[in-house]
Order: sequence, then C-alpha cells, then structure tokens
Amino acid sequence: MFRPSLLLTSLAALVLGACSPQDRQAATSAAIAQQVILPTYSRWLEADRQLAISAQAYCQGTANLDTARADFLYAQRAWAQLQPLLIGPLAEGNTTWQVQFWPDKKNLVGRQVEQLVSADTAIDATSLAKASVVVQGLSAYEYILFDARLDLADANQKARYCPLLVAIGEHQKTLAETILTQWNSQQGMLWQMSHFPNPRYADAHEAIADLLRAQVTALDTLKKKLGTPLGRQSKGVAQPLQAEAWRSQASLHTLAASLNAAQTVWAGVDGKGLRSLLSSDQQALAARIDAAYTVALQTLSEHPQPLAEQLASGQGRQSLETLYDQLNTLHRLHEGELAKALGIALGFNANDGD
Amino acid sequence: MGLAQWWKTLLTPSRRGLLLSARDDADGRHYAVGYRLDGRQVFATQVDQRCHAVVEHPQLPLALFVARRPGTQSYLVDVCNGRLLQTLTARPDRHFQGHGVVHASGEWLYTTENDTSDPGRGVIGVYRFNDGRLIPHGELSSHGIGPHELAWMPDGETLVVANGGIRTEAESRVGMNLDAMAPSLVLMSRDGQQLSKETLAQSMNSIRHLAIASDGTVLTCQQFMGDTATTAPLLAIKRPGEAFQRFTVSDEQWRRMAHYSASVAVHDGLRLVALTAPRANRFFLWDLDSGAIRLEVTLPDCAGVAAVEHGFVVSSGQGRCRLFDCRRGTPIATPLSLPAGFWDNHLHL
Repeated sequence: MFRPSLLLTSLAALVLGACSPQDRQAATSAAIAQQVILPTYSRWLEADRQLAISAQAYCQGTANLDTARADFLYAQRAWAQLQPLLIGPLAEGNTTWQVQFWPDKKNLVGRQVEQLVSADTAIDATSLAKASVVVQGLSAYEYILFDARLDLADANQKARYCPLLVAIGEHQKTLAETILTQWNSQQGMLWQMSHFPNPRYADAHEAIADLLRAQVTALDTLKKKLGTPLGRQSKGVAQPLQAEAWRSQASLHTLAASLNAAQTVWAGVDGKGLRSLLSSDQQALAARIDAAYTVALQTLSEHPQPLAEQLASGQGRQSLETLYDQLNTLHRLHEGELAKALGIALGFNANDGD
Repeated sequence: MGLAQWWKTLLTPSRRGLLLSARDDADGRHYAVGYRLDGRQVFATQVDQRCHAVVEHPQLPLALFVARRPGTQSYLVDVCNGRLLQTLTARPDRHFQGHGVVHASGEWLYTTENDTSDPGRGVIGVYRFNDGRLIPHGELSSHGIGPHELAWMPDGETLVVANGGIRTEAESRVGMNLDAMAPSLVLMSRDGQQLSKETLAQSMNSIRHLAIASDGTVLTCQQFMGDTATTAPLLAIKRPGEAFQRFTVSDEQWRRMAHYSASVAVHDGLRLVALTAPRANRFFLWDLDSGAIRLEVTLPDCAGVAAVEHGFVVSSGQGRCRLFDCRRGTPIATPLSLPAGFWDNHLHL
C-alpha cells in the first residue's frame, strides 16, 4: 500500500536532485511565511497600534466618532485578513477569542459590556486582561461604537464607555505585539516555517499541512459566517443579528478581506503559494481553484450592499445563496482534492476520531 | 502452555518495538499495519472496515484489530507477516465499540459491544481462542451505557470499563441521549460481577479511554459533549483506595484541549501520564504523582500514544510520528522515520 508512493517519492527525489519535493515544500513554506503571513501580521499590529491611539484621541475629544469608527473598521479588516493565516501562537490556547467573540448567539457581548461598565471597579488594560474574553476584543469595541442603543454624543454616556474603549485598544495592541514577537524571535514561528526539522515541524510537509489546515478551517468558517445569518442553521429563517460585524454593517467586507487573504496563500506572492506545489499533471485542479476564487470574489464585488439589506430582499438573498455555494465549492476543493493532491490528511482524528 | 506453543513463542521474532495500528491511505482504504520504530514496514494488510484499537495475544504472535464503532468486523492478524487469519464478525444485534483485551492465559478475549436491540446497553462480548481461532462464548453486562475502552487491573482478573454514556443505534455514530448521558467508570470481575461504579461531576463528559499503571492507578480521558464555554476535566484519576476524581489541571489548560481527547497512556518507570488532544493539536505530559505539567506542545492531529522504554511514541493523523524521550527534565521529541499521517486513533507497542 504505502510502498509504491514511498518509492515514487524517493525516485522523484533522485531525479530532481536538489529540487526534491521536501525542498520545494520548504521553499514554499518559507515564502508564504515571509511574503504573505508576516506582512499581514505586521499590518494587524499597525492597525491595533492605531486603534489604541484612536481610542485615546476619541476619548480625549481630539478625534470624532467617524474617525474612531474608521480606525476600528481598519483593525477589524486587518483581523479578517489574518484568519486564513491562523497558524502558530495566535492559533493556540483560544487566543483568538481575545480578538473577536463570534458567534454570539445570546448577545453576550452587549450584556457583558453593560455589566462591566455598570460595576464600580475602574477599567484599565490590566483589569481588562483578567476579565472575560467576551469584552476584551473587537466585538466589544464595535458594540460601543456602533450599537444603536448607545448615544455617544451624550457626554455622560461617552465617559461611561471610554475607559473600556481605551482598555480594549491597549489590550489589542499588547496582544498583537506579543504575537508578532513570537513570530520574529530567535527560532520563533517565522524561523520554524523556514528551517526543518524544528521543534514544531518535523519536516516542511508538516508546515504545508498546517497552512492548508488553516485555509480549510478559514473557508469553513466563512461558510458559517454567511450561512448563519442566511438561516442555514435555523430552518431558512434569516438571522441578521447573528452575523459577524452586524453592528458595523461590515460583515461582507470582512468576509471579502478573509477571502482575499486566503487567495494570497493559494496564489502566493511571485507565484510562490500553495498553488506552486501542484505538478504539471495537476494543473486542471489548480485552474478550478483559481476559478472558484475568482467567481466568489466577483459575486462579492458585484453586490456591495450591506448583508442586512441583501437579506431583506429576495434578489439579495439569491445572490447570498450563490455566494454560499461558491464558498462551499472552494472549501470542498481545498478539503478534498487539494489536500489529496498535496498528500495531506486533514483532521483525520480531530474530525472523525472516536 | 503446551510444548508446541512454547516452541512457537521461542521461534517468534522479538515483538518489542513493533508498532501496531489501524491506518488509512490517501484514498480512504483501511489497513491493519505493523511497523518497526526504525520505519521498516512489517505488514500492511488491507481490511474492509476501519479499525480502532489493537489487542495483542500474550503468548502467540497474533493481534486483533478491533472494529471502530459501529463496525461489525474485527481482524485477527499474524503479526509476523500480516496474514489475515480470521475475520471475527459481531453477533446479531451487536457491533464492536473499538476495544478489547485478552486474558493473561491467552484463552479469552473480551470486547466492548453495543446491544442495538436496546441501543446503548453496554455489553462485554466474551470469545474463546480455540486452535488460534476466536469462537463466541457468551457475554456480560458492562454495567453502563455505550462502553468504549476496557482494560485489566494489574491482577489480570479485574476488568476496568469506560462506559462512555452515549446511546447509539446500529450502523450509526450519532448520539441519541446527549441530554441524558450516563458515563461511568466500572470495575468488574471477569465473571461479570460489578465491583464498583463511579462517575464524574458532569454527565456530558464522556469517559472514553483508559490507562492503568502497574500500581493499580486508573487514568481515564474524556470527551466533553457540552457547550464550548463550559470547562470540563478531560483527564481523571482513580488512585488505589481513592475515589475517582478529576486530575489536577488548571482551567486554562482544560480549555486548551478543545473538549476532546483521543488517548491516554501511562509510563510506569517514569511515573508519567500522556494525553493527546487532536482537535486542539496538542500533546500533554504530567507527572503522575505530583500532577505537575511536564510538557505541552503543538502536535497536529496527534491521537495514538504508547509508552516505550524512555518515554512515549505519539502518532498523528496529519504529520509524522514522534518519540518523546522523557528521561531528562524537558522531554525531547524526535520525528520517527515512519510514513506520515493517516494514523488512526490508537497505537499499540
């Protein structure tokens, strides 16, 4: 059973000499880490640094609400771009919950923010770090800046929420700095994706498998992010308030940002993405994945109206359903044929263990 | 043991270091495999149904690859060459649950099974080795619902059963009673008599897998079926003479296991306990006596774990298998030259 493939691999290694599959995978892993992942993490850190400054400025009255919201949307977008790249430190120990709390079926975000600001204890970055993850991240920040029930034009209300806003900005900045340090440190994540074997990856194939796993998880999550408000889990009854980023009406923007980032991992910068690992006889598959990205991104760009608006009209729902099917195709191609073409087993025990 | 059998034992090549496991290939075909730790394949026998755990015969070079639930075929294989000697088919209205044990006499096999005419009723199937073949002999109650792993206490006569507490039907893996689960840890004599039955605090915490230390300490690992926001102890311990209770692990660490464990193993010499959490892609090691954490590392889709002389071997559904040398303070991992990925839930060494 396993021998023929082992034999073929060894033969290929002999024929290709220095360009063995392992070498190619190592080069691809290093290229994706250096050219795609690290720049995206760096943008995220910059967006969070700006968020921290922005919260201060807004609360001190030197910036208006529109500016505060724009800075938030930028940070939210930077976070969305990271989601197909969630490997390493940020992917471990439920750290992402600190950045965003979704799904939020029971409006825990709204309720816990209200509880926190109603309590007598002072809120700062230190106390927030010990609080529930629900109030530590962008979801709580969004609630404060966008929820219709809050009136930040009222000075008393603004003063009530500002300490939390500033604390979240600080917390996000610190978190991003910590994660980026773990990427850049000696023998850190960036190094581990470029030097094999290492304590994390026994070989480059494991790093590629980890990258693909993050892609598949992200594409599956995008389906859930669209499918939940579409009512796929609630007998077809639309649930606009279950969408990610519904308060800021940015659900489809964040979805597009994630999808674009996933496409970059696939295509790579200078063509050094996962796509480059497919051989000449696997080009038909590569073309189908290219096309699947193109049509999904096209549907998104042709229907720029906010998600809630589209959910409310028959035509809008139809195009969202089309988008869902396109995401599904993309997800299935990655999970099935691409994984198989790259010789990667995904979630064998995690998804189908006993 | 008869003289002929003794001769056969003597002539059997050393079984030490032979890794037995169920494994798939990229096309989803199922195999019973045996590999040396240096990477040499001893056998890879294709089988119809996906298997779960492997039980070795104490004297003969035989191993039973037990069907994963709700499988109905377990495979008796010659571990010298992989020859399929017998396909053991479950009795009517029964299916295997993935685990079994052989009595030290080499005469009796016990397997966990589900009574599908009363879905979830736990059954221990009893089979007798007769001239190298398994013959159904009878059955016992598991004294619980949905039994999963079973193991021997060090006396070799007392069975430990992890009753997962979940009812499932024939040809199905879907839990029917998630709102009324009843997991339990049962000790019973091998004639079927219940000696003790203990539970954990949360009824949705399914007790699945077992490891027994040579001093009689029982370790269990769980899979939590409840809410993601709830914390659940996925490792529990019953020390000799003490009650069954959660292992000492911080809430933060429980949360890092993603509510799912695949296997638990114990190292008697080093007094260590190992746990795999494939949904969290994490492998854990603790000091058995003090409960101190010795290692927590990322290991994608890690599942099978077994003790070897200096530590543990861990298999993965996604990446390479690792040997963890635990003789020094911080365990050192070495990737093994075994094929990567598609290793199923358990490995036997």
